[in-house]
Amino acid sequence: MNMPASTGAVYDRGYRPYDGPRGGRRAATAALYRTSLRRAIGLRRPWRQKVAPTVLLAIAAMPAVINVGVGYLTRDTPAEGFEFITYREYVGVSSALLLFVALVAPDIVCPDRRQRVLPLIFSRPLTGRDYALAKIGAIFTCVFAFAFLPQVVLYVGQMLVSDGALDYLSDNTAVLWQVPVAAAILALFYAVLGVAVASLSGRRMVAGATMLGVTLISSSVSAILTQSGRGPDADVPGHPAALINLLALPLRIRDLVFLGRMADDSPLSGLNGGGAMAVACYAVVVIVCIVVVLSRYRSVES
Amino acid sequence: MSSIVRARGLTKRYPGVTALDAVDLDLPAGRVGLVGANGAGKTTLFRLLLGLSQPDAGTVEVCGISVADDPIGVRSRIGYMPEHDCLPLDQTAADVVSTFGELGGLPVRAARQRASEVLDLVGLDEARFRPVGGFSTGMRQRTKLAQAIVADPALVLLDEPTAGLDPSGRDEMLTLVDRLGSFGIAVVLATHLLDDVAKVCDHVVMLDGGRLVTDSPTETLLHQTGTVTVDVGPAGAGALAAALTARGLAVTSDDIVTLEVTVSGETDLDTIRDVIAELELPLHRLTNRLTSLDDVFVHRGPGLPEEA
Repeated sequence: MNMPASTGAVYDRGYRPYDGPRGGRRAATAALYRTSLRRAIGLRRPWRQKVAPTVLLAIAAMPAVINVGVGYLTRDTPAEGFEFITYREYVGVSSALLLFVALVAPDIVCPDRRQRVLPLIFSRPLTGRDYALAKIGAIFTCVFAFAFLPQVVLYVGQMLVSDGALDYLSDNTAVLWQVPVAAAILALFYAVLGVAVASLSGRRMVAGATMLGVTLISSSVSAILTQSGRGPDADVPGHPAALINLLALPLRIRDLVFLGRMADDSPLSGLNGGGAMAVACYAVVVIVCIVVVLSRYRSVES
Repeated sequence: MSSIVRARGLTKRYPGVTALDAVDLDLPAGRVGLVGANGAGKTTLFRLLLGLSQPDAGTVEVCGISVADDPIGVRSRIGYMPEHDCLPLDQTAADVVSTFGELGGLPVRAARQRASEVLDLVGLDEARFRPVGGFSTGMRQRTKLAQAIVADPALVLLDEPTAGLDPSGRDEMLTLVDRLGSFGIAVVLATHLLDDVAKVCDHVVMLDGGRLVTDSPTETLLHQTGTVTVDVGPAGAGALAAALTARGLAVTSDDIVTLEVTVSGETDLDTIRDVIAELELPLHRLTNRLTSLDDVFVHRGPGLPEEA
């Protein structure tokens, strides 16, 4: 008996209830963090959105690559041991990531307000605090990774081109904690500042420009006040006006991490309690930014 | 039927206006229409149900959970479709829906799987990898509905889901809403379009200026007009109208054949029957007048009970 050939079938799959595992507030926060992180680095987005993070990561890694390359080329020569950049200075280079934050923080924060996605997000099991944590966490992760990974390249590269890898390791154990701590301090500062400024506006351009403006103006004003306060005599101790330089404030803490004191070339050098004042100012800025972010998402308009 | 939403004395005031005024509600698990003009308090009620706003007085429970005590637990069980545009425009429908699935507590893989399924269900299977910014109004409304149900909520709040849709899009959206009930998802449909409610809802809650006007099954509400339609043919309509008026009943007539008689109980119905018999008129039809919800809302007088 001949069976008719199957010609396919149409199914109405209908609706299938979900009876699998279900997370709560923590899972929702983690989901928002993942989404924000993906957006920040351009994943699942057009190629244009991938350009900025890729270029910035390449630029941030360049000093490490150059340093390792020079180290490789000058090994067994009189110039052996030449350091193009130190680990402490590299954290300073990473402060250029401010540009990245000014670009990305508004991009992951402003559209939620401008496109009125916030009421939808807050209809899910999370709170304004969770939202702030996810957004700050995403920026923090990006900045930390971009500041830390090139240093890993530098460290591993230097270790490999040195005469003895184990000797290099034992001679440089301190940087194994100094670098991540300094990078985390830098990342936290930029993340809270970036999200706080971005939370105040629905427009990305305005938020980005404000972020850059605030830091650059504070830097300029600080430089003017510091210079006028110290006068032409460079031997006079530093000036507290240097503390209002938001661009450099995390680098003062970096100096404390690497050197245990203010660097000699720091405008706070020689100032009594300069380190403690820098820590206090850093903490104040971080706390104020967090308060601003939390207050912006405490009540959600629909 | 158990209540999926239970409110007692729910009051919410904003400066200069009382958005909800001591509202008591017992919404059954089914398709409930929340009807009211703009500013009636529908969106305020949704915000209170979601715990996004705190009431000035009263209590509200969703799925047996107090919103005041556990707003996060309540939101885990609710899907929400706002009236306004609320979608990230540069993301694909699949990304938007799966993201909101994850935000609803689903694991990543399950969220993507269910996003695909619900987008298929709402008719966006072909367009799910296109950015939402390029969608028509109807497609955006479907995406909003998809994100509301992706996490398999016990209750879904739909705020004006047919707003901005053309007639065919509106019918399709109402069909989807109708199907949600059969999937075991309780629906509260807020709208000012009474026809939408009459088509798909089993239960109607009417709000007017923050006050509860009615909280009744749709069918009961449609029957409780207090009016019967009497048809005795064109020859006897005039005589019957005169006789009923003489007996103290209010009679109106839209045409020369049928009379609309206001009745307040069985006695009035007996009177109509007796008068027709006395006049020896042929009774072609004596029915409760099924009115539209518009009539109920607009003409609702003190003669109608607050709750059925």
